Amino acid sequence: MSTLSLLLSLAYLGLVFLAPGALSNLFGLLALGATAFLRLSPTWRTLNLALLTLAFTLGLVRSGNTLGLIGLVGILVALTTLPRIPGGIRVLLGLAILLLSVPMAGFANTFIFELGIQIGIYAAMALGLNVVVGMAGLLDLGYAAFFAVGAYTWAIFGSEQAKNFMQGNFPLPGEYMYLFMGIAIVTTALTGLLIGLPALRLRGDYLAIVTLGLGEVVRILANNLDHPINFTNGPQGITPVQRPPIEWFRELMGSLGVRLDQTTDYQLFFYLLVLLMIGLVVLANVNLANSRFGRAWVAIREDEVAARSMGIPLLPTKLLAFMTGAAFSGVMGVIFAAQRTFVSPESFTLLASITILGMVILGGMGSIPGAILGAAALTILNLDVLKTFSEFVRTSLPQIPSQVDPAKYERLVFGLILVLMMIFRPQGLIPEKRHKAEMEEA
Amino acid sequence: MKALEVTQATKRFGGLVAVNNVSLSVNQGEIFSVIGPNGAGKTTFFNLLTGIYPPDEGKILLFGKDVTGLPPDRIAKEGVGRTFQNIRLFGAMTVLENLLVGMHIHIRVPYFHALFRTPLARREERRAEEEAKRLLEYVGLSQRKDELAKNLPYGEQRKLEIARALALRPRLLLLDEPAAGMNPRETEELQAFIQRLREELGITIVLIEHDMRLVMRISDRIAVLEYGSKIAEGSPEEVRTNPRVIEAYLGKGAAGGAA
Repeated sequence: MSTLSLLLSLAYLGLVFLAPGALSNLFGLLALGATAFLRLSPTWRTLNLALLTLAFTLGLVRSGNTLGLIGLVGILVALTTLPRIPGGIRVLLGLAILLLSVPMAGFANTFIFELGIQIGIYAAMALGLNVVVGMAGLLDLGYAAFFAVGAYTWAIFGSEQAKNFMQGNFPLPGEYMYLFMGIAIVTTALTGLLIGLPALRLRGDYLAIVTLGLGEVVRILANNLDHPINFTNGPQGITPVQRPPIEWFRELMGSLGVRLDQTTDYQLFFYLLVLLMIGLVVLANVNLANSRFGRAWVAIREDEVAARSMGIPLLPTKLLAFMTGAAFSGVMGVIFAAQRTFVSPESFTLLASITILGMVILGGMGSIPGAILGAAALTILNLDVLKTFSEFVRTSLPQIPSQVDPAKYERLVFGLILVLMMIFRPQGLIPEKRHKAEMEEA
Repeated sequence: MKALEVTQATKRFGGLVAVNNVSLSVNQGEIFSVIGPNGAGKTTFFNLLTGIYPPDEGKILLFGKDVTGLPPDRIAKEGVGRTFQNIRLFGAMTVLENLLVGMHIHIRVPYFHALFRTPLARREERRAEEEAKRLLEYVGLSQRKDELAKNLPYGEQRKLEIARALALRPRLLLLDEPAAGMNPRETEELQAFIQRLREELGITIVLIEHDMRLVMRISDRIAVLEYGSKIAEGSPEEVRTNPRVIEAYLGKGAAGGAA
């Protein structure tokens, strides 16, 4: 077993040198599967993972084929979930992937940066929704609304848009983005309070429907608030939104020996910023989960009557979960607006809410590595795998009409995956111990 | 001052009067039982006391304070702990976590301290955990600390539910059929345990119970409900010999004296 998996990994490393590309990367995924699922001693497994990390990185740098990114995400998952890998190696290899492999691949193919940033933004939001749905058990189908509020909070003041209804020197300079990340926490938490106060008096399906409706209200407001006073510029959206100046970042990177050009500097900056945010959000998640608030949320999810009899007030506790989740989403909204320099209502549809919920469910409700994996899997699927596949179909079978273009069936594939998940692994890819317990009970 | 004073409490569900004009008072440090046939309104009466339903009429005083119509969490803060007829533990949480939920109101960590896990939050968490562990030792569940509550055997689940109510540091403890499903030996242990709670912790205890041996042995006083109304109240001896109670509830066999 050990020799087989090592041979596979070495063979992949060789393949990457000779013929980098989709096929060799597919082979790499096979080798990763062997490493993860065969019975191996911890030492062999660790060695294999290190080899594969090197190989996937090389593959990405040499060919820019995004399957390699899936491989790296797979290794990260293996590092967080597989037992008996030395803690130091986990951290070291994980950091190497996040801080070296992905940026190196990004310089070779900037689309990798774009993917990384998108995954990061969605992962942070999935972690926020995880508090609401996973911990407190409140089914929120309008979560993208908070993302929208956060994004517009910065977009309006970080562009000329604010001139329409305010005196002042707009756009605000880019540095203000950091301040607005804080302001967005307040505005989205308040939006959470506003939506939560009526909605959280309801339970289960009713709550889901009401949050769905209120979420749509926010999007439609964004769509229509271009008259009588032009707040949001309606369906055209707001552009350009200011980005923070990053002279200091270029200098810092320069002193580290990294030369940045016009296209990659902001990409790397936002990639690292998003990584930092995920770190903070994970920390907040863990801290809350192990506090009286996290326990109160789980208690309410498990049994409202018993929880209330323990002195836990229902509405305030639920509101707190709702506002916490909203704030996470709001901060990411600000980063999203600045990174894209463009905000329009289209990004905040019901489908966005459902996609984020799908990430949480796919990964395993209540599970932190699960939410991140779910975000990575669905983002890569949406932005990359399906598009690549449809390109492949289009070039190799040009007689096929454009109506059956696989990219158009994104939602179908997405739904199919969720249905299969519910049948074969309802607790999610990386289940949290509590939910696992509940599923076994059912 | 009475531990509990209920005046003319009434609760209707549509046409059904579940609790009808019930008045009673419980002295501090007393063990007081509420008995009655199935459907007599005992659990509804508990639900009135703990705020799960507000009474339609009447008044409830806890240690002299009017708590009529307050929600359950506010009543819990007044020092009322309870267990449920059909055990309601947080099954997917560990034994220790169940107790920590019970201590919720005594863990004084503001939100932002919890978010950043400040030294204050750490200290409070550690203190709470110590207290929970002591409590587990007290009820004899120390070895089970990290098991999921739903994996405990039935008798230990009952115990854990009482421990969770104790974590609230109650002045008044309401036990809804604590001996249900227990064999005679376990019931005897339970009796000793309840008496210990009163003696060592000074808690006033009100219980609903069907096991007449336990009720007669443990109670200072007993109230009898039938069809939502109180039909008798008094010492075990008085209740046992009360002709209305015998007729309505205990039946002819019990009137013979063994009860």
